[in-house]
Amino acid sequence: MATPNFPKPAPGSQNSNTIAAQYARAKALKDAEGKPKTAPAASAKQQKSTAERLNEVKKERFMSEWWWVLGAFVWFLFIHVTGLYYFTKGFLLTRLVLEEHSACAVPPIAPITSFKGIGTVEAGCWHPKTFDKAVVVIIDALRYDFTIPFTNQSEAQAYHNSLPILYDTAISQPQNAFLLPFIADPPTTTLQRLKGLTTGTLPTFIDAGSNFAGEAIEEDNLLMRLKEEGKRMVHLGDDTWTALFPGYFEEGISKAYPSLNVYDLHTLDNGVLEHIMPLLREKEKKEQWDVMFAHFLGVDHAGHRYGPNHPAMTAKLQQMNTVVGDLIDSVDDDTLLVIMGDHGMDSKGDHGGESDDEVQAALWMYSKKGIFGRTDPAFVTPPATAKIRPVQQIDLLPTLSLLLGLPIPFNNLGKPIEEAFAGKNGNDRGNLAAVTRMAAAGIKRYQAAYYAARGIETSTAEGSPHDLWETAEKTLVKGGVKDKMFRDPYLAFSAYQEETLRICRDLWARFDVPSMILGVGILAAGVLSLMLYANTNSDDEDSIEDLELERAEQQMELEVFAKGAEPVEAETTSRDMVRTAAIGTALGVATGPIFRILMGGDSLLNFGLAPGAIGGLIGVLGQEGKGRMKVTNPFPKTFWGWLAATFTISQSIGFASNSYTIWEDSILLFFLTTFGVAAAVKSLRLEKIADRTLGVYHSGAFIALGWLASFSKLCREEQMPYCRSTYYATANSSTSAPWQLLIPFVLAGFLPSIIKSYYAGSRSYEGFAPVWIGWVFRGGLVLSAIFWTLDAADDAEWFPNLPSGLLKNIRVPIAQTILAIALGAGTTAFIYAPPCVSITTIPGASTSASQPVPAKATVTILGFANVHGTRYLLLVLNILLTLLLVQKPMGFGALSLMTWQSLSLLELLDLTSLTTSPIGPITLALLSSFHFFKTGHQATLASIQWESAFIPLHSILYPYSPILVALNSYGAQILGVVFLPLIILWKQKPKKRGILRSLIAALAWHVAYFATISLATTMWAGHLRRHLMLYRIFCPKFMSAAAALVLVDLFGIAVALTGVRWNSGSVGEIFGWG
Amino acid sequence: MPLIDPVTMSSTTASPKASSPIEVLPKDISRIVSQAHPALLLAAYYMRFPSFVVDPVSTLLSSLLPLAVIQIGYTVICLPPAGTSTKATKKPKPGASKKGLETPTSGPLTAFIALTLTILSSPILFAIQILFGAPLTTHLPHTILSSLHIALLTIFPLVYVHGTDAGKWREIASFYSPIDEVFGGAVGCLLGAWMGAVPIPLDWDREWQKWPVTIVTGAYMGYVAGILVGAWLLKGKRIELD
Repeated sequence: MATPNFPKPAPGSQNSNTIAAQYARAKALKDAEGKPKTAPAASAKQQKSTAERLNEVKKERFMSEWWWVLGAFVWFLFIHVTGLYYFTKGFLLTRLVLEEHSACAVPPIAPITSFKGIGTVEAGCWHPKTFDKAVVVIIDALRYDFTIPFTNQSEAQAYHNSLPILYDTAISQPQNAFLLPFIADPPTTTLQRLKGLTTGTLPTFIDAGSNFAGEAIEEDNLLMRLKEEGKRMVHLGDDTWTALFPGYFEEGISKAYPSLNVYDLHTLDNGVLEHIMPLLREKEKKEQWDVMFAHFLGVDHAGHRYGPNHPAMTAKLQQMNTVVGDLIDSVDDDTLLVIMGDHGMDSKGDHGGESDDEVQAALWMYSKKGIFGRTDPAFVTPPATAKIRPVQQIDLLPTLSLLLGLPIPFNNLGKPIEEAFAGKNGNDRGNLAAVTRMAAAGIKRYQAAYYAARGIETSTAEGSPHDLWETAEKTLVKGGVKDKMFRDPYLAFSAYQEETLRICRDLWARFDVPSMILGVGILAAGVLSLMLYANTNSDDEDSIEDLELERAEQQMELEVFAKGAEPVEAETTSRDMVRTAAIGTALGVATGPIFRILMGGDSLLNFGLAPGAIGGLIGVLGQEGKGRMKVTNPFPKTFWGWLAATFTISQSIGFASNSYTIWEDSILLFFLTTFGVAAAVKSLRLEKIADRTLGVYHSGAFIALGWLASFSKLCREEQMPYCRSTYYATANSSTSAPWQLLIPFVLAGFLPSIIKSYYAGSRSYEGFAPVWIGWVFRGGLVLSAIFWTLDAADDAEWFPNLPSGLLKNIRVPIAQTILAIALGAGTTAFIYAPPCVSITTIPGASTSASQPVPAKATVTILGFANVHGTRYLLLVLNILLTLLLVQKPMGFGALSLMTWQSLSLLELLDLTSLTTSPIGPITLALLSSFHFFKTGHQATLASIQWESAFIPLHSILYPYSPILVALNSYGAQILGVVFLPLIILWKQKPKKRGILRSLIAALAWHVAYFATISLATTMWAGHLRRHLMLYRIFCPKFMSAAAALVLVDLFGIAVALTGVRWNSGSVGEIFGWG
Repeated sequence: MPLIDPVTMSSTTASPKASSPIEVLPKDISRIVSQAHPALLLAAYYMRFPSFVVDPVSTLLSSLLPLAVIQIGYTVICLPPAGTSTKATKKPKPGASKKGLETPTSGPLTAFIALTLTILSSPILFAIQILFGAPLTTHLPHTILSSLHIALLTIFPLVYVHGTDAGKWREIASFYSPIDEVFGGAVGCLLGAWMGAVPIPLDWDREWQKWPVTIVTGAYMGYVAGILVGAWLLKGKRIELD
């Protein structure tokens, strides 16, 4: 608060009550006082217009400078995206897709025994066929332990013992049915699984990103073989199939349903059921198809929405149990029935990764022919856990192909499933050897083609596939065709298949190392230039607060300007940097085609982007380097600089270890508490007892609130058993507990008051602030709280009598209203709002008539001392309101605590004069990274809260759905970067100089933290690319850090920088430009 | 030693001689014991370490008394009790000695008071550990005992030499006390305990990674290092937090 006292010559008109008019009036008083009393009126007028012109020039300078700053951060974004692009291109695994297809008449090897009709689909292309027709049913996310009995009743979960029919039939009719664990290759998303199941090969990681939109499979696959051999296919259910296999299915009888609405458990399943039974039972319809693919999603959606341990899951599994019973009754003797899960689900019902629960699905096959057998009588009982006798999901493809008499698709790497070919009595070893050899020969043919295409030498060493194949062929020759001896060839060919599969898994971890190094190099140079940019623009010392000096400076500036001199040189180095970067990039891009000609191949984009980025980086680094040749000490100069560097660097190093990656949330709490303690220690050194007390109070609040937030946990699997999830009602659910629903209501009451208390410190709760914070913001919070209550009511079916969908129809408009308030009205309000000040003029107290001197009036401006900060905070609150809506109730609490902590951080930095130190922006970055975890996220694919896409929407809507998921996932980081300008703006008076300069230094430090973390995780992921935990830990962490970096860049540009422009504009228009 | 005015004390840059480092008592026995003290602590800790790893609670508990004896012996023999000062005795100034405890005080009595205050202040150290992320619902005896150990290493000698003077303690709490072997040991102990958290998350599955073995180990090692650094390397300097 400041109350400048202006001497008063005349009261002037007091009608206008806008702040601008009030301030102009007050300013006029001051100017009139400033000039010597003897000066003629004309001179005064001229000086005044000089001041106005100077103000104009300053405004223009700010605006044009702002554009250069914007350019600088856009360039950094470009560098980050380019670096990440090259790394990702080399890192996310690629597999060469071969064009070759298998053909019915061309087996990879002549069969051991010929048979009648060989080479025709009627008898069997490569092996005598067993079935004419097949019904393949996928129950999405059917985990193996859903299907086997669980005897301990007291510990049984909702998903136990609800789908017993698969197990029971396998035991009671072993020749008709068998049940086995069915292990998926990660990534365990439905799209990737369907690719793996139909092509028999291992999908590579790069496809994981395309979960939202499938693409047609070009590789040889089961459906391609079926189509070529004239089989008619019908499809029901999940529309991922039609995206992967467009034009394959019989029109009219096929029916696809949208698959991504996880809130809807029944529409798709009921649709499938409506169509499947007529197709199986009605004679006329039965003749229209040969192979049916039906894909149920209810189990998967129940998992995503409620988690596996929920009555909805029990109901869904019981429904599936009935469905299986009906299917058994409906199929005829010549039809094979296959029921399987494409992947499992983790303890919360999500999937995507490679944890045991996610990869362990179930496979059950059934036929009325009674041809299934076991090579050991003990195998009749299905395995008790998925670790015993599992089959790989790629094994289904050769099994189905040979049973249906089809050629095995060209890229297959699986082997036929023993139970399907061992014969009724489990002793038909001749058959087993024949099918295994045929599949192995296919693999050998594929391997040879792949090696030829890639130019890899085949090893002939002992134990190599080549050697194993030779051995297998020898055992075959020795053993002749006698059944007893056939055990050896079967095992020998199996060994060949297993070794080849192992090698292929390794091989497809083929990384493009030069591209990865290029990406890392660009990112590293980007971090360096960002830090140099931050450093050149940071102030070495705090400007001294001296009103007299300031006034004298202003006066001098005015005089110099009146003589016609340009005011001052550019405020920041952005202009030079952007120019150099642009020239460098242009030159670099120009050399791109030359590189392309020299090195050949690849797309022009790849050859233009890298030289462009490198050219710009060389230019910027060269320029920065030249300017600071004399600076020899690259280390931080202050304790706080060291602290910031320690936090960032030790964390970066820590990401090389899976433990520190897993426990990142605890480490961040540790660092934040460390900062809080250091700030408390620093505060104790302050001179004034009031400052000391405030400093200790805010440090304490900062620490305590962070600690409180640390109770919101969503544990990742690797943290078990040392972690207990609290984010949802139970560890096995993804719905909030009733008490958690109170959090938003409580905060709707408290949070605005807490924010108000931070305004009160500088008497800034004036102007627009009471309306916006006390009413609009609070109203938005209440609506949010109501939204989440309705959501919970819908989930738990509190009101079973209400028509279904009614609650959804009520809450979606509520969410839309909140967004309209926060983003629509909020932005408009922010642009046009006056600063949070109140100006009062108390007329001079001319009490005494005898007084000869004119009485003085006092102009009081409440909130003057924090004009910039309090106004900008309104923008932060709008963003906060948006982010709070898309968080679950616990996340709502976490982000509110983060806001409170950030406000205390501002006060602390101000008290300890650390606003221009890197520690502020870095602590804020740590804080936002910490709350990423506290809003129920982890650096894993499974923790993405996909359902947030539906908060204000009824169905998937591009581009809004992905944006909502991003706002949910990175809400804390977004809030952090939007909050960041306050470190500079908080408690700054109008006309404060160098705001933009300090701001870009702060923003650059903040971004530098995320860029460093991103660089480190990139490097480690690249370096540890053969690590066992790559896809479980390092790769997800790298992706999560990269996404955070890009989002922080984007929101820094779009909200923080842009917001400051409007904010400074508004303040400058009224109080003049600094 | 000049009296510290609470106002000028805080702006210590202006008056750097506001307080001066503690000197070991100028007796041969004091010098010898002060040299032996870190070595004795480390040796004792090393010997107890295996049983500490096996059973942290009972080892920490049973070694509390020996630790207290070592610390009492060390302070009483080597350090000037609160209210006296090696320097102050040389050039006394009128009205200069207004310490929290009356002068001159006997060592054992000061030690007894210091011990009481140490135990009373250990909940603060406990709370700090919790705020840094120590388990709240489990391992409570572990955390309490580790707080007591750290308190005996840090707070006890500080109370013994500085008494309860509020100004002095503000100086200590803001880490601005001139470095000597007592303050250096305390800072080293806290830094060591802080760094002791580093190996906990690692998945090496070692017994010694369990709570609070690394913290207490870091505290002891940091304490010894701090004493040595405070007594020799950085004596009289101050920690700047700019």
